[in-house]
Amino acid sequence: MGLDRHPVERYISWIGNAVQGDLGVSPRSGASINEMIGRRLPNSALLAFIAFVVAVPTSLAAGIFAGIYPDSRLDRFLSIGSLLTISVPEFIIGVILMLVFSSKLGWLPSSTIMLPGETIMSKPEVLVLPILTITGALFAYILRMARANVMEVMESNYVRTAVLKGIPMRQVVMKHVLPNALIPTITVIANNVGWMFGGLIVVEFVFAYPGVGSLLIMAIDTRDMRLLQSTAMVIASVYAFSNLAADLAYGLLNPRIRYG
Amino acid sequence: MKKEREVLLSVAGLSVSFFTPRGTIRAVRDASFEVARGEVLGIVGESGCGKSTAAFAIMGYLPKTAEIEGSILFEGKSISDLDANELRSLRGNRIAMVYQDPTTSLNPSMKIGLQVAEVVLEHMDLSSSQTSDRVIELFESVGLADPDEIGNRYPHELSGGMQQRVMIAMALACDPDLLIMDEPTTGLDVTTEATILDLVASLKERVNAGILYVSHNLGVIARVADRVSVMYAGQTVEQSTVYELFDSPQHPYTAGLLSCVPKPPQEGGETTRLRRIPGFVFSSQESNDDLCLFSDRCPLANEKCMTQSPSVISSPHGSEVRCIRSHDVDSDIWGEVEQILGVPQSQSETVLMAEQLTHEYGKHQKKYVLFGPETSTPVRALNEVDFDVKKGRTLGIVGESGSGKSTLARAAVGLIEARSGTIKLHNESLANKVENRSQDERSAIQMVFQNPTASLNPKLRIRNTILRSLRRFAGLGRDESQLRAEELMLAVGLDPSYLDRLPSELSGGEQQRVAIAGAFSANPEVVVADEAVSSLDVSVQAQVLNLLEDRQKELGNSYLFISHDLGVVRYLSDEIMVIYAGYVAEYGPSSSVLSLPSHPYTEALLSAAPVPDPTVESNSLRLEGAVPTMRERFQGCFFASRCPRKLGSICDDSPPPSQDAGEGNGHVISCHIPVKELSAVQS
Ligand code: SF4
Ligand code: SF4
Repeated sequence: MGLDRHPVERYISWIGNAVQGDLGVSPRSGASINEMIGRRLPNSALLAFIAFVVAVPTSLAAGIFAGIYPDSRLDRFLSIGSLLTISVPEFIIGVILMLVFSSKLGWLPSSTIMLPGETIMSKPEVLVLPILTITGALFAYILRMARANVMEVMESNYVRTAVLKGIPMRQVVMKHVLPNALIPTITVIANNVGWMFGGLIVVEFVFAYPGVGSLLIMAIDTRDMRLLQSTAMVIASVYAFSNLAADLAYGLLNPRIRYG
Repeated sequence: MKKEREVLLSVAGLSVSFFTPRGTIRAVRDASFEVARGEVLGIVGESGCGKSTAAFAIMGYLPKTAEIEGSILFEGKSISDLDANELRSLRGNRIAMVYQDPTTSLNPSMKIGLQVAEVVLEHMDLSSSQTSDRVIELFESVGLADPDEIGNRYPHELSGGMQQRVMIAMALACDPDLLIMDEPTTGLDVTTEATILDLVASLKERVNAGILYVSHNLGVIARVADRVSVMYAGQTVEQSTVYELFDSPQHPYTAGLLSCVPKPPQEGGETTRLRRIPGFVFSSQESNDDLCLFSDRCPLANEKCMTQSPSVISSPHGSEVRCIRSHDVDSDIWGEVEQILGVPQSQSETVLMAEQLTHEYGKHQKKYVLFGPETSTPVRALNEVDFDVKKGRTLGIVGESGSGKSTLARAAVGLIEARSGTIKLHNESLANKVENRSQDERSAIQMVFQNPTASLNPKLRIRNTILRSLRRFAGLGRDESQLRAEELMLAVGLDPSYLDRLPSELSGGEQQRVAIAGAFSANPEVVVADEAVSSLDVSVQAQVLNLLEDRQKELGNSYLFISHDLGVVRYLSDEIMVIYAGYVAEYGPSSSVLSLPSHPYTEALLSAAPVPDPTVESNSLRLEGAVPTMRERFQGCFFASRCPRKLGSICDDSPPPSQDAGEGNGHVISCHIPVKELSAVQS
């Protein structure tokens, strides 16, 4: 393991290998870290992807509605609901869901531990509770963002202009409100992908889900420095890339910062 | 033969109230007016008089909390009886509106061509190619250059004046019958304002619509309106033709507004002191059943005015007035005309002086961004500007936005560090940066900003703000400074009880006076006022201008007074400097600068400035465009890109000489045209 070398030297050589795509071998299990992460990354990605696909459109739609009709009954319900969900951390939501749906009702499995030979695909029901947990927090968060942005744009002078052009309300919303309200919403969502990863790690841990997040926790538990370093780095790079993607998307959506 | 007047819009007894948790706001109490086809009705009044609310009520666009009484009839049909669809087919189609602040009124993420086309598609039965032809035709009709291409631009790619033209094109899209313009030129430069007003005037001839023009600016109203309706505290108080109104106002408020506006000085250089309307607009939170709402400010008010609400009296020739003593209204009710004698020139010593003051924003640098290096060149904001301010006198600085006048003010105070040049106080050089100046030097030069809200600490009571500056700059003790603070408040015309208020409890005009009291608390020799009265209503503006003048006479203060409003600068200044793109175009004693010979830029500014007198034919000299950003050094004349009198290649190739106008009073003009030719009026 080269413990005789200087730590800085060792770190540099690890970085050098990591950049070339070799994260080395876990000193604990002797397994290749590349392989460990490679096996779990798709699982995490699947979980995140489904949660995103479920949460983003529904929460945007709900947020837009709430922003256009503030103080309607549905808006009040959504606002209170989302406030509650936001103020309760994921691990509590996860545990509550687990108690209700698996311990009490027995409808769904409470953990996602796989037997040898099983994959997520062969047991898709294990995904339901983790997805629900992540979606809950994500939904509330996006809903509040969208609602606030839509409300702000609804008050703007250019929406007033649009209304007083005499065009139908639908068109006002589709052409004038949404493009301007969604630009900041989408950016904020994308910039907070990292925050979602935090939630993902916790949720994976609560449900013992075989993803990168629980791998990270495992690495901490077993003091496996090299594994910890590698997982953290993978998570950090995903985070960095999503932020970059968010900024580029913002540039495409917003003509004011598009450089000619 | 005059054609029969076809009334399009008639508003009668309109009142609009908003119910808020803090009580009922009566924005409009009793407004009545009519707009006929082919005429422009101007609605004038100070802020808070309900003008805009009335305009939006006509569009049927008020918040749900608004309660509307009275009638708004458009072609005989009541707007409030229309259902949503009928209202929609009226808006943008038969009734269209142009708003204040075009920048925020256009959708920032939609091409302007589409924004205009949207109206056409909605209300007119046109194919898509006909629609794009129509849009191009509209852009052309409002005088936008390059009408075929401009539709592909986004709003932020256009200047404020161009944006307002787009808004006007949008409003004209379906040949509306009624056009409502709500302060359409407020916030634009005078030069741009003049071109927009010309456009409105040409619309009057061209389109067969009625125009409702809302403005707080009497000069603008005088230029565009045929008839005028004056609003005060939500009521229509006077209505008549524009000539009658400006010639012989019937209501004391109208007379007051007119006497608040600075007039050009007479031949001898003496100005007449501004008369002012004391107090403030009747609060919209109070109810109004049994008194004249103007009675607390009216010099003619008597017993009856306090106990009974005056009704509207119509005269046989169609004018209306809401006052029981309208027959007693004449030009002297707001005080005798006082002459202010001009201080004899040149005797006084120089207090503040600048030599070769130069400033640039940004530095020369190469920046590496994602896709390669980008070079940024500094923007030149001031170019070797010289000036001197004499004791007890005022130097006025005028120019459009972007001309460098604010940079000049800030550089003089040291808020920005001029790149080069010297600033001298009593012939002693000052550090260019305020941090490096001594306490005495700092207190000698004080500044008043345009926005008083920004210069007062919102959490600090007025007393603390003023005491702080008294102790720090004037070095006064505790008791002394308390006394002095009260004196200062009285001096700026505020009750000393205001000392215990927070800035948020004061109106804009009161805040500005507190800011001035703050500046004077340091016993300054020079006060630099950067657009200090620009955001104020005329009556308050008059109070502040009088205050500045009084202080100057009593204490011999000097002012560096910066404004885009020529009328105000002319009123206050002894010397005037006209600045363009960071260059001095013309400099000299007020009366010389404002009369011929003039620099072409001064001439253009003068002819653009609206005069509150409908009988004055406006000079047709106009400037298009805006001050260029000064990234490149000018090869030739700084004004060449917009100059209406440009000579030819000499103006492009060599910088103009600074010519003495030969009046022996230091009047200089930077232009290639010989002084003798500049003396001839250009049309
Ligand atoms: S009614 Fe009386 S208080 Fe009102 S404006 Fe006329 S004179 Fe003044
Ligand atoms: S020098 Fe030429 S361009 Fe400049 S102001 Fe005179 S005439 Fe106009």
